[in-house]
Amino acid sequence: MAYIVPSSADTLEDQRLYTQARLTEVACLDCLARVGVKKNSEHHTSIQWHAESLAECTEFRRLDAAPTGRPIRASCPRMQASIDAAVRDGQLTIGAEDGY
Amino acid sequence: MLDTGSVPERFARGWHCLGLATDLADGTPHGVEAFGGKLVVWSDTQGNINVLDGYCRHMGGDLTQGSVKGDEIACPFHDWRWGGDGKCKAIPYARRVPLRARTARYESVVRNGMLMIWHDAEGSPANHDILPPELEGIGTERYTDWTWNVLDVPTAHCGEIVDNVVDMAHFFYIHFAFPTNFRNVFEGHMATQFMESTGRPDMAGEGYGDEDLILKSEATYYGPSFMINWLETDYKGFLTKVILVNCHVPTGPNSFKLQYGLAVEKPDGLDDKTARYIAKKYSDMFGDGFLQDVHIWLNKAPVQNPLLCEEDGPVYQLRRWYEQFYVDAADVTDEMTERFEFEVDTTKANEFWRAEVEANLSRKAAEDATATT
Ligand code: FES
Ligand SMILES: [Fe+2]
Repeated sequence: MAYIVPSSADTLEDQRLYTQARLTEVACLDCLARVGVKKNSEHHTSIQWHAESLAECTEFRRLDAAPTGRPIRASCPRMQASIDAAVRDGQLTIGAEDGY
Repeated sequence: MLDTGSVPERFARGWHCLGLATDLADGTPHGVEAFGGKLVVWSDTQGNINVLDGYCRHMGGDLTQGSVKGDEIACPFHDWRWGGDGKCKAIPYARRVPLRARTARYESVVRNGMLMIWHDAEGSPANHDILPPELEGIGTERYTDWTWNVLDVPTAHCGEIVDNVVDMAHFFYIHFAFPTNFRNVFEGHMATQFMESTGRPDMAGEGYGDEDLILKSEATYYGPSFMINWLETDYKGFLTKVILVNCHVPTGPNSFKLQYGLAVEKPDGLDDKTARYIAKKYSDMFGDGFLQDVHIWLNKAPVQNPLLCEEDGPVYQLRRWYEQFYVDAADVTDEMTERFEFEVDTTKANEFWRAEVEANLSRKAAEDATATT
């Protein structure tokens, strides 16, 4: 029993395309975290975290320890810097592919 | 081809808000349509608010038309008395109450002045760790009292309103604002939207269409149905802090009730009446906004395979997050809850939209000029 019950196999392919295609792995320059990143423009950025990398991120650990917990809005500035560096190194290419 | 899919068979797992506690705790029974049926809500002598299935487990009498007797709700049909724990406490004409006389009960808690109940098709105990946060200052002199409004959406699945979390472009077309910054984060049971917008000058104050109105908005869903939206509004330099709650209760497989409540932080030096007036103004404005959405939902087709462009938000990732509330707890996958951050580039969209609005304004000016000659 699922929320999305597609009636066509193409929908499953669309789900894969939009959520997984063109995600490039970027490793944090300061800790062991690795994330999947897609950049459709200088500004347009998707960052997919996984449970293990979230646990590795020192910045998130620090925020988790705060009395009020880690606010969902907080992103990791070190990972942000690592993504920018990956763009500069040409390891991460910027560009959209037909809307995804 | 558009894949309309099928309507989910179950209702989402999680906390749902039934309304303001003050409205429900007046000593009389209240009927609330929810989860394909009707619930009865009443407060007992301790002030606890209880929620049971609205139909009597004896022979189906409508408990919402019954009366509160002591701590119990009494059925109008044969006067069976039901306690907030779901047990039958007394049958005035019977030698003894059958031990099996129990009915469906919903765990409830009052949070920020709102009655929250836990629903899970699997019948798990309520998870208090994922309640929406307590809002500091709410219920005190610092804020106005909640406004409260309910909109009926009889022919759409409540997933439609959740989609708004990622829908950058509809803010221009439906709500008449330029979204200049737009970001999403999903993690665990939370989904957040950050947005900055200014009103469209060509819309003469309709919806959010007022060029003097700048909104900074952070809106988070805590679970499937309850969103808190922190807004900083700037109207001609007059800053207001607004908290808007946007929540819903599914009433059937393809229908829901949208509820919204709003409180504003009372500006220093302003009397209560003026503060209430400001709250009412904003409540009306967001109410208009919701009506604009409702009109779309009542007429659109459900879509499982949206076709997106570069300027669209992460609809698929949001749906993946939302699905966690519709599967068995054991079937919630890592992908559904893992952190996802997204920021859309609104530069191009806003260039195009500015040009469109300029064109609208000059056409309007030309029309006005001919009308006066
Ligand atoms: S149906 Fe409620 S008491 Fe008989
Ligand atoms: Fe909307």
